[in-house]
Amino acid sequence: MTAMLPKGAAMPIALNVNGEDRITLSDPLTPLVDVLRDALFLTGAKAVCREGICGACTVMMDGKPVMSCLVPVGIAAGHDIRTAEALSGEGEPSPLQRAMLDHDVVQCGMCFPGMMVTLTDFLEHTPEPTREEIKAALVGNICRCTGYERLIDAVLAFAHRD
Amino acid sequence: MTASQAGDGQALYVATSLGDAVAALAARAPHAVPLAGATWIMRAPIRQERDHRAIPYVAIGAIDELRRIDVNDHEIVIGACATHAEVAARLGGLPDCRGLAAAAGNAANPAIRRIATIGGNLCAVKFAASDFAPALLAAGARVELLSAAGERELPMERFLANRSTLIPGSLLVRLVVPRGQMRSAHVRLPLRKAGDYPVAIVSMAAKLAPDGIAEEICIAVGSVEPVARRWPHLESEMTGRKLDADRAHALAAADAGSFSGRDAVEAPGWYRVQVLPALVRRAVEILQAQP
Ligand SMILES: Cc1cc2nc3c(=O)[nH]c(=O)nc-3n(C[C@H](O)[C@H](O)[C@H](O)COP(=O)(O)OP(=O)(O)OC[C@H]3O[C@@H](n4cnc5c(N)ncnc54)[C@H](O)[C@@H]3O)c2cc1C
Ligand code: FES
Ligand code: FES
Repeated sequence: MTAMLPKGAAMPIALNVNGEDRITLSDPLTPLVDVLRDALFLTGAKAVCREGICGACTVMMDGKPVMSCLVPVGIAAGHDIRTAEALSGEGEPSPLQRAMLDHDVVQCGMCFPGMMVTLTDFLEHTPEPTREEIKAALVGNICRCTGYERLIDAVLAFAHRD
Repeated sequence: MTASQAGDGQALYVATSLGDAVAALAARAPHAVPLAGATWIMRAPIRQERDHRAIPYVAIGAIDELRRIDVNDHEIVIGACATHAEVAARLGGLPDCRGLAAAAGNAANPAIRRIATIGGNLCAVKFAASDFAPALLAAGARVELLSAAGERELPMERFLANRSTLIPGSLLVRLVVPRGQMRSAHVRLPLRKAGDYPVAIVSMAAKLAPDGIAEEICIAVGSVEPVARRWPHLESEMTGRKLDADRAHALAAADAGSFSGRDAVEAPGWYRVQVLPALVRRAVEILQAQP
């Protein structure tokens, strides 16, 4: 793909977000998280640290969790973007999200959309994880409320359910 | 896309081939800059650098040729846009590349490792805590640069020492890592268990004789000074002697003062220097445990 994205004159950038084709006129260096939230009103991903540390902005790009605060929207063009909103079907929580509710894990919820995106991908590749593997997978998702233990207990219970 | 079309006035040009990228950079010289994973570039506002949106970027991350990792019996050739995760996955199973694989697999956090590239890591000139820099120094890697004037290859040491003059107008295209009967270790000390920048790094590669004598040893230190560098005194003291963790610790403690630790928000300079002997000991123990 070749793209010329002029500065000044807003060139449309074509995105595919949660399976839908969307257009943005944002500057190509705008962080993807800002386009998702401010232009597409998908507010699941949160811009908290804006430096790749907290993971609150995590979305899937081509099936891999990435920090959307560090992805320029011009680079996201042509890639398959999935946000936390795509995890639940028709307003119903995904089984993993349901497990979090059942275990009463969520507190302020700021970290949770990012956590769910990271864990959904992780459990797809590691269906029977150990405690240590879950901790390693969550190194880039910071939670200031839960202390993680309850969250990890919930992931283990979910993964090892019958 | 031709070079003339890729003129000024574009904030982001997505190059499709190496030739295209070089032409776009040349056409927009002297201000154009490559953009690989963008994980350093996108943090420019946090570092309070000048408005990075004013810079014409040439995106190189989608160039297949730059993402390749080729392994043969003699060397490993790593394209500049291979990500940390790709390097860790490809080198993970190679017994002579444990140090390099550990550097790639433990830097940053999983989501950053999926995006940040080896070339971007080495070309972020102001980034002192690079894991790749000391690991590639210890591995004796060479760097291949490409500009409109042609290609050149140079040792990692020379590249790191002269990056700020070498990079403008050039693309780092490949890293070439020689293979051999080497054991290697990469020991990093973050303040948390993982996920933050290392306070200090010791990378070590050694060729051991059957009796445990270090025939060759290369030791590099990262994150302590602004640029990673080798530790020649320690190397010469350890070469030709049996690997011994206590002796290495004592030698490192006696010579750690040859480093000027950099002060930064996560740790003062003296602390970075003080932990070096312990990291050296750990690296030696890892080498000793390798088959
Ligand atoms: C939260 C966080 C934690 C991190 N922790 C670590 C860590 O512990 N250890 C570690 O080593 N790294 C760590 N990093 C990564 C590091 O700080 C850089 O962000 C990253 O390596 C840059 O790679 P990039 O591909 O994103 O480069 P970019 O941001 O695209 O580019 C960086 C610089 O290099 C130039 N450039 C890029 N590619 C080339 C090329 N091929 N030729 C010439 N110039 C080029 C660009 O113009 C720019 O100046 C961390 C990053 C984050 C966000
Ligand atoms: S907002 Fe992106 S990682 Fe914190
Ligand atoms: S629930 Fe509040 S930050 Fe995680």
